[in-house]
Amino acid sequence: MFRFLARRSLGAIVILILISAITFFLFFALPAEPARLACGKNCDPTSLAMINKNLGLDQPVPVQYWKFMVGIFAGRDFAVGHCDAPCFGYSFVSQEPVWGTIVDRFPTTLSLALGGAAVFLVCGIGIGMIAAWRRGTWIDKFFSSLSLLGASMQIYFVGVLALAWFVSGLGIMDQPAYYPFTDNPAKWFSGMLLPWVVLSLIFMANYSRMTRSQMVEQLQEDHVRTARAKGLSSRTVFFRYAWRGAIAPIITIFGIDLGSLLGGAMVTEYTFTLHGIGRLAVESVQLTDLPMLMGVMLVSSAAIVVFNILVDAAYAFIDPRVRLA
Amino acid sequence: MNIEERSKNSRRARTYAVALAAGALALAGCSSGGGGSDPKDSNEPKMESQDITLGTAADSTGPAKDLAGAKKGGTVTVLQRDAFEHLDPGQIYVSDELIMQTLYNRTLTNYQFDDKTGKAKLVGDLATDTGKSSDGGRTWTYTLKAGLKYEDGSPITSKDVRQAVERLYAPYQTNGPTYLQQWLSGEGQKYRKALPDGPYKGKHLPKSVLDTPDDKTVVFHFDQPRAEVPFAVAMPNIGAVPPGKDTKEKYDKAPLASGPYKIRNFKPGKGIQFVKNDQWDPKTDSIRHQYVNTFDVSFGHQWVDSTRRLQADKGADRNGMTWTNVVDPSQISTVLKDKEAMSRSLTETQPYVDVVSINTDRIKDKKVREAIAWAFPSGQYLQQFGGPKAGEIGGGLVGPTLKGYDPSFDPFQKKKYPGGNAKKARELLKEAGKENYELVYAYGNGDTHQDASVVVERALERAGFKVEKKEIDQSTYYTQIGKVKNKYDLYRSSWGADWPSASTVVPPLYDGKNVYDDSANYSHLNVPSVNAEIGKVAKVSDLSRATSEWIKLSEKILSDEIPAVPTFYNRLFTLWGSGIGGVKFNSVYGAVDPTAVFIK
Repeated sequence: MFRFLARRSLGAIVILILISAITFFLFFALPAEPARLACGKNCDPTSLAMINKNLGLDQPVPVQYWKFMVGIFAGRDFAVGHCDAPCFGYSFVSQEPVWGTIVDRFPTTLSLALGGAAVFLVCGIGIGMIAAWRRGTWIDKFFSSLSLLGASMQIYFVGVLALAWFVSGLGIMDQPAYYPFTDNPAKWFSGMLLPWVVLSLIFMANYSRMTRSQMVEQLQEDHVRTARAKGLSSRTVFFRYAWRGAIAPIITIFGIDLGSLLGGAMVTEYTFTLHGIGRLAVESVQLTDLPMLMGVMLVSSAAIVVFNILVDAAYAFIDPRVRLA
Repeated sequence: MNIEERSKNSRRARTYAVALAAGALALAGCSSGGGGSDPKDSNEPKMESQDITLGTAADSTGPAKDLAGAKKGGTVTVLQRDAFEHLDPGQIYVSDELIMQTLYNRTLTNYQFDDKTGKAKLVGDLATDTGKSSDGGRTWTYTLKAGLKYEDGSPITSKDVRQAVERLYAPYQTNGPTYLQQWLSGEGQKYRKALPDGPYKGKHLPKSVLDTPDDKTVVFHFDQPRAEVPFAVAMPNIGAVPPGKDTKEKYDKAPLASGPYKIRNFKPGKGIQFVKNDQWDPKTDSIRHQYVNTFDVSFGHQWVDSTRRLQADKGADRNGMTWTNVVDPSQISTVLKDKEAMSRSLTETQPYVDVVSINTDRIKDKKVREAIAWAFPSGQYLQQFGGPKAGEIGGGLVGPTLKGYDPSFDPFQKKKYPGGNAKKARELLKEAGKENYELVYAYGNGDTHQDASVVVERALERAGFKVEKKEIDQSTYYTQIGKVKNKYDLYRSSWGADWPSASTVVPPLYDGKNVYDDSANYSHLNVPSVNAEIGKVAKVSDLSRATSEWIKLSEKILSDEIPAVPTFYNRLFTLWGSGIGGVKFNSVYGAVDPTAVFIK
């Protein structure tokens, strides 16, 4: 197991380095001139040269990349000040260290992702199991149609409707906003509730449909039939035998979903005016803010890669057949 | 003056905010009327030019008169779409930031808006009055008020005003207005040579240019009469910065407050708070109040979002407002039907004028330019942006907020023919022998502009042009059209006067000196007679004569040279929560004035 984790972690580092290099060099292939962006309308050559120097843009691209990578581990000195490790550089736009902004935005994304995941996982799997349990009945049909409806919805549509009805119309829900959990857990909860519910509506559909089909499949497996034949209660058969078999692929998908959510749920963040990692990514693309973009990309990729490793480990743990060599 | 827009390659470009129908939530503009057609429901601004008066020393003496029913305390939530990028008053030049700085930054002079009539008056802010001129308008003397302090309790002296001016010469200062520097030390970027490092290496401007004979007096010397100095020193960058605490680039994150509020918790891209500055003495300030404890500003609110929240008026949003977000074009008709919400709204004309520039390098034949001007469907075009609540059809190149504006001036009868006069245009094209003339019309790829491009294309084709539409990425739009060697014939832009005189419109937009990349002279007009006339009017020392001369010149330019088609004069239609009182309109910046706001 340890060897497996070590190998996967090394692979992950290689992937992250590749992603960083591709982003970096692609960015400089763009026709945009970053210093020109930071320089206002009264820009003259002296001002431009100064900004280029301040941001380190006067050096060759490979040198800039090398300094960027070194800065992540050892910190960096800029003309505008020192940037502590992990230093992802100074934002071209805000002229502040990128890492500080990411650290400021990450709790919003974390709250959104974990809370949303909790809701869609519990509800999605629950509904899927009920549907499988009552397969063929009206309950099954009702939930199947409901998931189909949910799966075909879009956050920017459901979100806007939910805001108009529950917040502006009926006034029964608070305006979505992020408040730090440590300051006021109740406010944190009420501020995130609507985004969680809307985000889960979309994801829940996938999970309930997947759980149902997995459960139905498992319930027809030989070991389940054997368990039934042995006279075990249907509850034991359902939860201990079928469920355990069904959950493995769900966990795989969940790991990928959670990783992507931690990399920023852009549409949800825009719909509810939340300032998370996703929004930061979009804004930095719009403003051609390379250091910010690099920071966000690496954090998001790291989230996805790490969760994939965790999933693989969990998978191996749950299902003894999948012991990776 | 620029109105805020995020633009990738020139982060803040000159444009009207409608330009960016940003985000997934923005819906297309109302194409069928967009509301505002019922005169009972709409509270249209009066079509009269703003006659800004120069206040006396008594008008400049604080405190400001208390508003009836005003209470102290509470937090106001401010919903803004675009993030503030600059806090350093030297670097501020877009509408959102211009209005925001009025809370913490005081300048030599400033505008006072009457609580009832909304009329603007220029008064002394840091200075005791609007300035004393001598030597035929070549010398201007300002005396600072007694009792002025920064948020840290240190006194504001004439050396601080000198610092504020001289730092504008340093290379890192690239965003703010340049009127005063250029008048003092030379046109274009030439002024920077007078003090290449700013005041940071112990050097100062010679006393023959900027003198501070004592702690309270600031004297500016110009090489020619400058009638508009009182307005130029009302711009945010002509205030006070303490030399010992001027942190250059870093000052942009934490400037020292001289006004009733100071900055707290600035999170770029996310939000900012303004809290009470206890060192501010109301007796020194005839403009601002300090009713509210905190202004809690958050960014990223699309117009649909701010409109929904302020219209719904639920919970904390009752104490909510916005300074520059307008009612989204898609929601105008709903809001107009909501009488209660309309009682918490204002519709005012802004100083911004939308025009479609004609690239005179490419279209040299004036007859063709004239045909375009006749054919352009300004009224239909405006409908795409929200109709009468978003603006009024423009006849000339300067708008109703400027002194001397003539509402009857409409040489291409844009008001009579909202869809354009195709017949007249056809005749002109025929006369010129340029039938089926091919035009390249460039526009940003925002929803509203895409809708508008269809209307424009149809109208021009009706008039006998062949139109090739070129869609440009919204974020690089201003960089693309700002290139002198661009390959387009027609493209829109917006410009607002920096103060209510066309002297801040005609020279930057139509002087041949300003034909260079990223310049506001988008039509690349460079006509010797126009250039000479601009130079002549600039020397007129009598303010009211100069004002009317500028208007006349702008009319002459449009009629004789047709460098652009005026489309509409922008309006701000906005809402606030039911718990908010003291809302006024800052007609100079075209935004909601926060300085007298209180919570009921």
